[in-house]
Amino acid sequence: MNVHETTVRAPAAQLARAHILSAPGLRSTLRRQQGLFALTLFVPVILLFLIIRVIPIVQIFLFSFTNYSVQRRTWRIVGFDNFVRLLSDQTFHLAFKNSMLFILYAVPIEIVLALALALLINRKLRLEGLYQTLFFLPYILPMVPAGIMWKWIYAPGSFGLANYALESLGLPRVGWLTDPNIALFAVVIMHVWKNLGFFVVIFLVGLKAISPEVVEAARVDGATEWQTIGHVQLPLLRPTILFGVVMGTIWSMSVFTEVYIMTQGTDVSAGSEMEVLVTTIYKEAFQYFNMGYAATVSLVLFAVSMLFVAIQFRLLDAKE
Amino acid sequence: MAATTMARPRRRLRVRPGRLLLNLFLLAAGIIFIFPLIWVFFTSFKTDAEIVRATPTLLPKTWTLDNYLGLPSRAPFLRFFVNSLLVSGVSTVFIVFTCTVAGYVFAKYRFPGRNLLFFLVIGTILIPIQTYIVPLYVFVRQLQWLNTYQGMIFPTIIMSSGIFFLRQSIRDIPDDLIEAMRVDGANEFTILFRLIFPLSVASIAAISIVNWVYTWSLFIWPLIVVNQESRFTMEIGLMYFQRQFITEYGGTMAATTLSLLPVLVVFLIFRTQIIEGISYSGVKG
Repeated sequence: MNVHETTVRAPAAQLARAHILSAPGLRSTLRRQQGLFALTLFVPVILLFLIIRVIPIVQIFLFSFTNYSVQRRTWRIVGFDNFVRLLSDQTFHLAFKNSMLFILYAVPIEIVLALALALLINRKLRLEGLYQTLFFLPYILPMVPAGIMWKWIYAPGSFGLANYALESLGLPRVGWLTDPNIALFAVVIMHVWKNLGFFVVIFLVGLKAISPEVVEAARVDGATEWQTIGHVQLPLLRPTILFGVVMGTIWSMSVFTEVYIMTQGTDVSAGSEMEVLVTTIYKEAFQYFNMGYAATVSLVLFAVSMLFVAIQFRLLDAKE
Repeated sequence: MAATTMARPRRRLRVRPGRLLLNLFLLAAGIIFIFPLIWVFFTSFKTDAEIVRATPTLLPKTWTLDNYLGLPSRAPFLRFFVNSLLVSGVSTVFIVFTCTVAGYVFAKYRFPGRNLLFFLVIGTILIPIQTYIVPLYVFVRQLQWLNTYQGMIFPTIIMSSGIFFLRQSIRDIPDDLIEAMRVDGANEFTILFRLIFPLSVASIAAISIVNWVYTWSLFIWPLIVVNQESRFTMEIGLMYFQRQFITEYGGTMAATTLSLLPVLVVFLIFRTQIIEGISYSGVKG
């Protein structure tokens, strides 16, 4: 590598180089080389990107107007039939409601807890790295073992840690995952535990980006700790908080693994299965093979996600 | 100079007791936070009888390795482990290549449609695979890639957030360096491999590790494309094991610990890169 050698060349050489590159012959050689490069490497990568990421998203629109199924040879266009079915499908209604409740519970808890922790950790503590690691750790764990772990914590018997904790506080045991009124909240707690570290880390990055002089100036002006947080740090952190809200919402809306591991399967008593949007997509597409209808449910998921993507773009625009 | 030496001792005296409390609080909260992990780890060394006792204890009374030794006769966990390594490893090799090429072109080339394409890249960062899994499955099925490694790996060879991340870091490489190499007669392939790659090593490392962790943990995709035991990943194998051997608590805890271990080790080694990669590139996916 001769990076250093090339950087230390004199400005005169730079001028000469610009001159050479602007010569018509070299320009076209460069064009040709870039074209060759683009064709052999970039075009295949972009094609893969379109095939894996973009076309499937377009296809959920197309599928949702058909009765497509991988089990049948033929399929036809059914117009808005799938959408009409959405309106009367009790399972979908329940799933939609649960997904919205999931957002409503999970996102505020995640954001408030993470903000509090980030503000506490961001005090030039010597052990800052350790705290960050401890709170971040669950975020990178695979969801399946984490879900099994929490299924255990919520176990109905006396060996479930959650019930053990309740009993040692003198409270009655609870059917954490079997009582439909509690199951959603129990999964939310696990989801928050799993993802909290992400929010703590992005908020810490955001807090460190605030210049210390601004905070110091507020203190010198006699602002109390709470005033400094409320009037200086939080307003300056607003873009990061909104980014966190967008991420948290999209993750809550697309929960699947934790719900599937903790509330569904052969070892769960019938009737207590928790239904969310993605479990409905999964069942319709891969158990009943109604690909068309599953795509229609996906479209609902996509539309709400898009709304938040749009918000995210507005935020990026505002930042630049 | 004088002002700082004056101010320092006073501030220290004022804040110290509070700091101690704060440290104690954060330490306690952090340990409670990862307590489920500690608990599962110790439980995997207990006998089944001890696990279901009415008053749970943290440390095993009698340490036993039976839970681990009994695993291979019930499910081929070694095979699952190798499958997971293969899928996440091959995916990461692809990611390094696809993200660097796309990142370089988006950062340094001008061509019609660039902004639209880049807009699509950013837009798809936030859309999780669950949304478009149905058409993706149909496509992979038409390729007859169900129950194959290529089918399992296919959707993970493109990482929108990785492309975005590398585009941002390659944009910071001065054009001068690239032009200098061009004048010296280097072609675009040489520039990519001799200049862009070496200068982006840190960013490439960050997205590689994030992608590795992401693909190792992936669940919904292998769940739908794989139904033969010989292709199960750790995640799928663990899920079926837990459902099949419901009463074998010790075995389940041992299998859970084994499936967490690789990610834990990688995290402890590459902690900084992972935290940076995730907090700057935004997300996995």
